[in-house]
Amino acid sequence: MSLELPALSGKSLVADGAFDSGVISVRFVGTADAEVTKDLVSVVDKLHAEAVRLGATKVTVDFRELEFMNSSCFKILVTWLANVRELDPKQQYRIHIISSPEHHWQRRSLEALRCFAVDLVAIDS
Amino acid sequence: MSAAAYFHLSFAPNIKLVSTVRRFTGEFYRRIIPDEDVAARLALATHELLENAVAYAADGDTGVRIELDAPNLTVRTWNRVKSPQLHDLTTAIDELNKAPDADAYYQQMLMRATTRTEGSGLGLARIRAEADMAVSYQIEGGDRVCVIAQTRIAPEARGGAA
Repeated sequence: MSLELPALSGKSLVADGAFDSGVISVRFVGTADAEVTKDLVSVVDKLHAEAVRLGATKVTVDFRELEFMNSSCFKILVTWLANVRELDPKQQYRIHIISSPEHHWQRRSLEALRCFAVDLVAIDS
Repeated sequence: MSAAAYFHLSFAPNIKLVSTVRRFTGEFYRRIIPDEDVAARLALATHELLENAVAYAADGDTGVRIELDAPNLTVRTWNRVKSPQLHDLTTAIDELNKAPDADAYYQQMLMRATTRTEGSGLGLARIRAEADMAVSYQIEGGDRVCVIAQTRIAPEARGGAA
């Protein structure tokens, strides 16, 4: 089942997603920088709302083709985790991030994210 | 100029150019530092410094200068800045440098970021914790600020050069 996510107006970042068997899968391709910050807020807010509406148990986030993420976009992910944590425990879902060893920045950045919400986040590379 | 290798670029403050400059500098880092992980750390720090510089710039040039004078690698960005923004920037760097543990401070800033309405406040903490760089600043002429990030590059990361 496709998942309707807001369109990213710039060409530097693309996001698409799907929902199947209780799991939302979303993929980000490109560069998450200052040009897409506002759009990324819309995407992540919608992703969270859909996860709650659909009763998802897990959201898989594929960053393997994400070249870079700046701190403003990183803040959006951190805020998302904080919002998941604020849900009733029965509504909370796990976030599984798929990273790429080719994008070296991901190792440290995503480890910081995992440490921020060790109960919610798992990282695969 | 005594630096063994350097890169120097100035441009009109424009947030859209920051990713372009990160790619230029990323290529420069990969040329002078064969260790790709170290090169990526430096590119991340350069991007965050440039976004800060552009965001705070009052007018005129924003610039970046990268110098490898082994074993020290220094990234400098500069711009003119208005007084309130200068105060915010220097306060943030002073607070960063008072925190004894870079990772713990970064986690603290991540928590703070969730309630901030303006900006992320994460760039400098990210440079210190993720890029493993010391951050400082110099103020020139009252309104020109130079932010400096520095680290030591191990000989093995430089391809074994002493």
